Amino acid sequence: MRRRLIASIVGVIAGAVLAGCGGSSVNLGTPGAVAGGKAPGGTLQVAIASAPDQLDPQKTTSYPSFEVLDNIYDTLVAPNPKTLRMQPSLAQSWTVNHDHLRWTFHLRHGVKFDDGSTFDAADVVYSYDRIIHGKLPNAYRFATVKAVSARGPHTVVITLTKPTPNLLSDIGGFKGMAILPKGIASRLNLATHTDGTGPYMLQSQNPGSITLVANPHYWGKGPYVGKVVFQFIPNATTAVTALETGEIDWTDNIPPQDISNLQRNDTLKVATVPSTDYWYMTVNEQRKPFGNPLVRRAISYAINRRAITEAAMFNAATVNETAIPKTSPWYFSYDPYTPNLAKARALLRQAGVSHLSMGLMVTSEYPQTVEAAQVIAAELAPIGIRVNVQTEDFSTWLDRESKGQYDSFILGWLGNIDPSDYYYDQQYCKAADNFQHYCNQQVDRLLTAAGTTSSTARRKQLYDRAARLIVDDNSYIYLYNPDVVQAWSDKVKGFIARPDRAINFDTVRLSK
Amino acid sequence: MIGYIVRRTLQAIVVLFGVSIVVFAIVHLVPGDPIRLALGTRFNQQAYDALRRRSGLDKPLVPQYFYWLGHALTGDLGVSFRTGQPVTQLIGQRIGATVSLAGAALVVALVIAVPLGLLSALRPRTSLDYGATVISQTGISIPEFWLAILLILVVGAKLDWLPSAGYVPPDQSVSGWLEHLILPGIAAGVSSGSILTRFIRASALEALGRDYTLTARSKGLRERTIIVRHVIRNALVPVVTVTGVQLAYLLSGVVVVEVVFAWPGLGMLALQSVQSRDYPVLQGAVLLFAAFFLIVNLAVDLLYARLDPRIGYASR
Repeated sequence: MRRRLIASIVGVIAGAVLAGCGGSSVNLGTPGAVAGGKAPGGTLQVAIASAPDQLDPQKTTSYPSFEVLDNIYDTLVAPNPKTLRMQPSLAQSWTVNHDHLRWTFHLRHGVKFDDGSTFDAADVVYSYDRIIHGKLPNAYRFATVKAVSARGPHTVVITLTKPTPNLLSDIGGFKGMAILPKGIASRLNLATHTDGTGPYMLQSQNPGSITLVANPHYWGKGPYVGKVVFQFIPNATTAVTALETGEIDWTDNIPPQDISNLQRNDTLKVATVPSTDYWYMTVNEQRKPFGNPLVRRAISYAINRRAITEAAMFNAATVNETAIPKTSPWYFSYDPYTPNLAKARALLRQAGVSHLSMGLMVTSEYPQTVEAAQVIAAELAPIGIRVNVQTEDFSTWLDRESKGQYDSFILGWLGNIDPSDYYYDQQYCKAADNFQHYCNQQVDRLLTAAGTTSSTARRKQLYDRAARLIVDDNSYIYLYNPDVVQAWSDKVKGFIARPDRAINFDTVRLSK
Repeated sequence: MIGYIVRRTLQAIVVLFGVSIVVFAIVHLVPGDPIRLALGTRFNQQAYDALRRRSGLDKPLVPQYFYWLGHALTGDLGVSFRTGQPVTQLIGQRIGATVSLAGAALVVALVIAVPLGLLSALRPRTSLDYGATVISQTGISIPEFWLAILLILVVGAKLDWLPSAGYVPPDQSVSGWLEHLILPGIAAGVSSGSILTRFIRASALEALGRDYTLTARSKGLRERTIIVRHVIRNALVPVVTVTGVQLAYLLSGVVVVEVVFAWPGLGMLALQSVQSRDYPVLQGAVLLFAAFFLIVNLAVDLLYARLDPRIGYASR
């Protein structure tokens, strides 16, 4: 009410100064009418931490981009919002042939892109070919794909060079594999414009926000809100204050230390859902003495994962000594490293190492890694490892990681669904993301077998065995699985906080 | 006068050329790889090579510079690695927000500095002067981010008087624009205002002690006339210089204030381009900042002649 008063005063001044050019105040906190009936109404005000870098779903790798694009584009299949099991989306059903080398997808009828064109098999072929032939960031997901072809307007066949049981999560795990209309990249600048089949369409954007409007031709249920405005609020205190004052309705820019405060606010809902992400520490095995598994094991015994999780995440995370979280059906319960300084010292002695100095590279992009590093530094000091914490911006961090210019680092892998996402690219000897240079032929054999076995039970066994070896070798010293933390006003109904961090507003309704 | 402006403009072009070389060299020397960053945490050599080729970063640095310079001379500052948008467009989208904030901050600064500095000079070594000194020292010492967060928590949240963050373009709503401008304007203007207060006090005190003020007094002029016609006018020359520097600083983006208030200005753009090693945007933004400084300095120099008829340009 008071703000309305100030707004009126400001409006009068603006009117006087600018000779009647003024209009009504546009305030973050004045969403429109209540949604009800069939026509979507009202405006959902959302705060995300940063502006999308670009809007081409197949080219961007930035999370803020996907927060917006999740609502604009669709994939052939999509994870269930709670279980993450792959379910139909633009493909209504699919079959796999007897040798598991040919997948046939039957497409949904009557789906339209924002430009009015009808979705069909040619769009799927175009979209996947664009990723593969353009060598776009997700081309690696098609590593086993021999060809993508259309069999009529509503059938797509993907042929493979070897069985790929995780094909569904590869093509549907996130919107980086979005389906675009055929030939769109030559007609439209996809970095700044969109043309999807999802529940919302891009209406406008400026450096401070992006506005989406409900897609009246959306093939699924919803949307129930007329507009979604994504405001870019980098400072978490500002975002949380704007949520508390009602200027925004939803945010995920919440520092872990603010969670308990927000939970005490009756007008807000705070979701803390275990995510599919994991955070870890690793060492450069090409540098002495970190190639010695005894040294890595000593580090693993010396650190207290619970203390690290508490300091870095204020307990908005679950300690885990393997990668896959407890909530996943692929979880493998294995936790051999109860903190034990005497054992850690003995292992270092056995390795012939004393007075070790170790650089620990972390990044200001993920402040929790800086916090975790401080704790690790304190915990390794008593066993004679002097840790030099090196905080870099993310660009330098990644560059040093690629060039192997580090002793050790802390980072996480986000948005994993299939167990291959958790292990293959990071632990296979020649894998692209095996920056720690870990190599165990037995692990390679297990990961290869698991990656081509179609029986879920058999895959689970193989991944469990691989995980045990990786943990024993301390290729990665796994730390914790963080929670997804999101908060919204109690007038926002129907939002589902998902373990994969996808942000979908198609189920949301607004009430007063 | 016109000859002077032409000469200064030519000098400015040489300076900008030098700045472009230095900036180009520095941004490429800074550790970090924009292509690696654009691909995210998952590395893929083929995708890396393809993107590097598409961005033109596979070529040696000198041809890269001349390619950039050739386009820059035609007004094309290149395309952002991060967003795929032309740099001129990215800058154009943010310049309104930056000019608004710089203007508001300058108004806040002058509203604080002129009365406080003059009162302080006119009543030296009184409690009023000491009070003004404490206020200006406090303003200089308070970190901008702290003041910004305090304003958000008190004025935005507790009192609920003004919106805590965001930006509304004036063409969308003038009152919305003003409403969102007040708190960032105060946060960015307080420190400049406090610096200016010190300068106004010092130059007014100096003018008060000069012979012409004594002469004016001995002629029996009214104190008000002495202050307005002799003291303020003579004190303004150094004050205008400092105000110009402060304005150029504010135009170059008040990064901290922009980040805290989610104000999409040039400072935030420059910060993002540094973080993502977005070379074309960073080069464009730094060139623009250099141009701001040159233009403001020229304007200040031209203003001297208006303020002090003894200053001329013909002979220089």
